[in-house]
Amino acid sequence: MRHNSKHQASEAKKAISLPISRVRLIMKSSPDVSSINQDALFLTTKATELFVQHLALTSFNNRSQTEANTLNYSDLAKTAEESDTFHFLTDILPKKILAQDYLKTLEQMQDEDSDF
Amino acid sequence: MDGDSSTTDASQLGMTGEYMASSHYVLHPQDDDGEENMNDHEDGGTKENYREQDIYLPIANVARIMKNAVPQTGKIAKDAKECVQECVSEFISFITSEASERCHQEKRKTINGEDILFAMSTLGFDMYVDPLKLYLQKFREAMKGEKGMPGVAVGESLGEDLTDDGFANPLPAGIITADGQQQNVMVYTTTAYPQIPTVQQIQFS
Repeated sequence: MRHNSKHQASEAKKAISLPISRVRLIMKSSPDVSSINQDALFLTTKATELFVQHLALTSFNNRSQTEANTLNYSDLAKTAEESDTFHFLTDILPKKILAQDYLKTLEQMQDEDSDF
Repeated sequence: MDGDSSTTDASQLGMTGEYMASSHYVLHPQDDDGEENMNDHEDGGTKENYREQDIYLPIANVARIMKNAVPQTGKIAKDAKECVQECVSEFISFITSEASERCHQEKRKTINGEDILFAMSTLGFDMYVDPLKLYLQKFREAMKGEKGMPGVAVGESLGEDLTDDGFANPLPAGIITADGQQQNVMVYTTTAYPQIPTVQQIQFS
């Protein structure tokens, strides 16, 4: 019985692959958070693992360049845009453009203006 | 103009000659309490003072979970890893502030497990709730066996026992299917989310 629970305990520890202390630090950086109980900390850490898998896989399957087999930043931005669940990420995942494309667009806009 | 808005503007305009990956943002030192660098980003000289919202989980851990989640032949670009690292902090803060709010409304000071689960449900992550309850149950049983007391909240100190040991194993990330069957949770990759059509359903017996 004792051997079994010791085994379970070490299994439980191995079952978490993110540093709990760091998770706690991030949680505490939210305003008005005073204390966090052990369950809450564990659940948040575990949920974070699920979140990473969920986001990575959804974005991978959703990617624009299917032949490349690579998950890119733009796939993540696209997923945030299109998914309800991940929509809260849109602020931190702006769609990036190359500077030269931006400048070209700016030029075009200026040309249009000068037509008036 | 203060530091925050200039960082955001720069990222949206992409005014450098390349894609701006997060590690190239210039971080403005705040008068800070000298908090140690928590970022694990490569970034030349501007390491000293980070704003609180720039605390991230280590990129190696995040990258490993991502790698195990996508098909074996899949690859992950560096900027995608960094990006998910930031998304993770965002997610944690998102859940935490919702949970914290509920806590305050009920005049409690300590965020407990229920607050977290409730927050997830409210914020559109209710597909995580059932698997998490099962994980919690296993965790409590394991802790009970080790510490010799019922699964009582002993505050944050117990969490220390579990910290920073993150490199032990590939992630056992089994998801229990929604029909409520008790199933073996020790699984290696991905995930069965009944509501998500793009994610493959994997069942375990």
